[in-house]
Amino acid sequence: MPAYNPAPMQPNAPRIAAHDLVKRLTSGGAPLTVLDGVSLEIAAGDSVAIVGPSGSGKSTLLALLAGLDRPTAGSVEIDGQRIDTLSEDALALLRRHKIGFVFQSFQLLANLTALENVLLPLELARRPNALQRAQDLLTAVGLRERMSHYPSQLSGGEQQRVALARAFGPSPAILYADEPTGNLDAATGASVLHLLDELRAREGTTLVLVTHDKDVAARARVRMYLRAGRMERVEINPVTT
Amino acid sequence: MAGTLVKAAWRESRGSSARLIFLVLCLALGTAAVSGVRALSAAIENGLREQSRELLGADLAIESRRGVPGEADLLVAATASARTTSTKSLATMASAGGRSRLVDLKAVGPGFPFHGRVVLDPPRDVSTLTPLECAVAPEVLEGLHARLGDELSIGAARYTIAAVVVEEPGRLDFSFTIGPRVMLSLAGLEEAQLEGFGRRVVERRLWAFEGNPASASIEALARRLRAELPDAAYLRVETARDAQPALRRSIERVENWLALVALLALCLGGAGVAQLVHAHLDARAGAIAVQRVIGLRPREVMWVQLVHVAGLALFASLLGAFAGSLLPFALPSLLPGVLPEAFTLRFDWLAPLYGASVGVAVALLFALPPLVAVWQVPPVRALRHEAEPLQAPRLLQWCAWGVLLVGLLLVARVEGGEWRNALAFAGALAGLAMVLWVGARLLITIAARIPRTNLPPLLLHGVAALARPGRGTAGAVVALGIGVLVVAGTWLIEGRMSSYLVNALPPEAPSAFLVDVQPDQRTDLVATLQELGAEHVRAAPIVTARLTKIDGRAVADIAAERKGDAGVDRELWVLTREQRLTFGPDLPADNEVIAGSLWNDPQRAEVSIEERFAKDLDVQVGSMLQMDVQGLSVELLVSSIRTVRWESFGINFFLQVEPGVLEQAPHQVLIAARLPAEREEAVEAAIADDYVNVTVIRVRPLLEKALALLGRLAIGVRVLGLFVVLVGIAILAGVVGTQASKRAREIGVLKALGSTRREVMLLVAVEHALQGLVAGALGGTAAFLVAHFTLSNTLDIPPQLPWLALPLMAVGAAVLAAGAGLLGSWRALHVAPIEALRS
Repeated sequence: MPAYNPAPMQPNAPRIAAHDLVKRLTSGGAPLTVLDGVSLEIAAGDSVAIVGPSGSGKSTLLALLAGLDRPTAGSVEIDGQRIDTLSEDALALLRRHKIGFVFQSFQLLANLTALENVLLPLELARRPNALQRAQDLLTAVGLRERMSHYPSQLSGGEQQRVALARAFGPSPAILYADEPTGNLDAATGASVLHLLDELRAREGTTLVLVTHDKDVAARARVRMYLRAGRMERVEINPVTT
Repeated sequence: MAGTLVKAAWRESRGSSARLIFLVLCLALGTAAVSGVRALSAAIENGLREQSRELLGADLAIESRRGVPGEADLLVAATASARTTSTKSLATMASAGGRSRLVDLKAVGPGFPFHGRVVLDPPRDVSTLTPLECAVAPEVLEGLHARLGDELSIGAARYTIAAVVVEEPGRLDFSFTIGPRVMLSLAGLEEAQLEGFGRRVVERRLWAFEGNPASASIEALARRLRAELPDAAYLRVETARDAQPALRRSIERVENWLALVALLALCLGGAGVAQLVHAHLDARAGAIAVQRVIGLRPREVMWVQLVHVAGLALFASLLGAFAGSLLPFALPSLLPGVLPEAFTLRFDWLAPLYGASVGVAVALLFALPPLVAVWQVPPVRALRHEAEPLQAPRLLQWCAWGVLLVGLLLVARVEGGEWRNALAFAGALAGLAMVLWVGARLLITIAARIPRTNLPPLLLHGVAALARPGRGTAGAVVALGIGVLVVAGTWLIEGRMSSYLVNALPPEAPSAFLVDVQPDQRTDLVATLQELGAEHVRAAPIVTARLTKIDGRAVADIAAERKGDAGVDRELWVLTREQRLTFGPDLPADNEVIAGSLWNDPQRAEVSIEERFAKDLDVQVGSMLQMDVQGLSVELLVSSIRTVRWESFGINFFLQVEPGVLEQAPHQVLIAARLPAEREEAVEAAIADDYVNVTVIRVRPLLEKALALLGRLAIGVRVLGLFVVLVGIAILAGVVGTQASKRAREIGVLKALGSTRREVMLLVAVEHALQGLVAGALGGTAAFLVAHFTLSNTLDIPPQLPWLALPLMAVGAAVLAAGAGLLGSWRALHVAPIEALRS
């Protein structure tokens, strides 16, 4: 399997490209096609919302674009390099250096404090001044006073803000967010989205988020609509950048 | 990067303290099994050693009729720091008040004995005997009609009888008894002027080592002395191990058993650890997926988990090892009278550290295969809990199993002491694991295909649960099966062995020996004894002789050739010592011919040789021995080799010659008999009156000593067996319970869907009982096979196993598994479904 190439992106290559992605699940009975020939291109710095009802294949598409899972057919490229053929190690290094994640259920490590959760990817990426960076990010998301708290001692909104700080820590080129406000009330969700926009603008990160919430999707420049595993349509919002 | 991983491993220890405490406790139990067995074994071995040393009176002794060479002291001193003393003994006549008799004279140097004690009546230290005082056995007083304070003439000196010898360290070996004991000081022996003039004085040099060195190092020194000392062919080098030929086989059996139990404990601990780590990683799968998402490579995740498990194992092993090492100390108060006083208990700080090291090694080795499972955790699990597991690299899986097997072999070698045993153990364990795995796969296949319409719904779900993906049925059956093997195997072997030990001393064992009987007195004396109520009377002629040639080669040449060959553990002394032969048509009942056959060559005089003695002489069936029978040369063909149950305490000889060869040679008769305890003195008095030359040696106290030792060994074996069985059951329950505790969510869903608690309990019980049944049947069968093999091949005990107990074992394992499964699910069964779902 080819190794991960940490070289900068190829000129003119889209940040993310997918060609004819197919994903079939065979676990427990008859095969099920979750994605069926999805293609897309996302430019660097863009913000994209993948929208669709439950079971439309949004999260599966996100997992394939992020290298968390492998397609049954088709290919995924990041900065012009195919990632669906990379080894597990190479994918781990790709995620470590280029990709950040925000999950609906936060997925903080329960046995790490807020600060340690943010520090871990920075330490893995061997970022100089990791501690300072982690503290700055937590301050930026308004958790300056909660750094030494464990996830179980934080509210849902606070946990998601820690997750944001963790995701932006290593300054990833791409941020994938899976229903980032799905577990939050409207007000908290709005504040998290505001933070997400702010950090993204500051860091110049490409954002791909999955949501079924129209208001959340409206904040993205591009909206891709999925239905039954197929790309139904793409909308571009010229106002949002 | 290493620092980050170690930090991450340390952070793994945080949170979910209840789970970690349970994990540590279970790991500690596994380690406690290993180190507890070691500690109990050490206590039993210490006890054995103490007893053996008491029989020899020292750690090491050299005996010679030519004097012990000074080089012996130099060699011993160069090896270890030791105290030393000497004794000299000879057969001589003693007289008092006009009567005289043959006595076994022993002059002792200062400090004798180093172990055990000489009990005198009135009480005093034997080393305080002045040169003109002696202590005598009661038989001397009775035979000479003498009393304390009377004078006893020996050689040129007259001694005051200052005390009666009640007890002295001595070998439990009666064939060489010459007469009753008379004790002097070394200076006192000089007064008698008995040395010189062709007297056969046996000098014995004794050493006691400082710092309680291991038996193996004393044995090594003994081998070196046999190989390097000048005149080695005329020296008898003895260690405590050689001091009890009658008990040697029993002690060897116990030693073999201890080695086996140590290995079984490893299995038990290992199988427990593997399942616990497996369950632990299952519980951490969510966190591992997140670690993968933020960029940790699989091998980095494995290092994090490995360091984490190593840290927990170290802590748990220290905890378990210390607890295990203290076990023998707790036993006397928990079960008064179980560990006999003679079992010296010493706390050895190195023992728990060693136990902890073995514990960590076992934990890490058995943790490796389940740790490879971190490769199977897909990062996408962070998005979708039900994501399909990835395939771990095959090479890595094989490597993990390979490292486990090789590591196990090494640990087994360290624990069991021999490569052969370690190889057999690792091979058998791998084979059993394979059989269990196949059995589990079969169970899963059957569970998946069973016609569902014919079963009640709860049973149906219980059976179907076995075949569901990710259920871990195969792993659980393998771990349970190995546990059943250990528990059942220990129980089977221990039961046979402890009863065999207790019955090792037959009821017909003689309680007295009559020595110095003339051939013409034999018939009358036997009849007299029987009239006086003696039972099991047996008489055997004794002819003394010396070995001159083996297969035409002079023994002096053979001794010279073998000398320096330290690798071969053969006694040179057997070549040159005075041999005692007997003759007669039949072998005693406790003898069994294992090679050749008795008296089958009408052309030549034949001899039957005891197995160990034949090994020492290096002769086989067909070898020719030339003996010097008091001046007359006799050629004897070795026509059979036989084993002797020395623990029967009967009259037995290394060499028995066929009838018609030695009858005319000058000889004496040795008679053994079992006398009723209350009539012993009367029998003795009657014989003293009618047969003045005959001495009665009472061995009842020695017999009782041996019986007590065997009884204690049996208790030791039983306690150790019981410990392994109990810990084994606890570990099995822990393993099943850990597996079951993962089911909380499923139980929550079932309850949320409307199943009653009773129904869910039944479902959990059915699933676990089926696992237990398969594991119990396969592990139990393996236990019977292992017990049969070990008893008949290693321990030399007729197996006679209760095969009918096999189905009970399977059912027992099923009940245990069901109970432990319910216990592990207890919390989930008893909380509101939503709580179980949330957790």
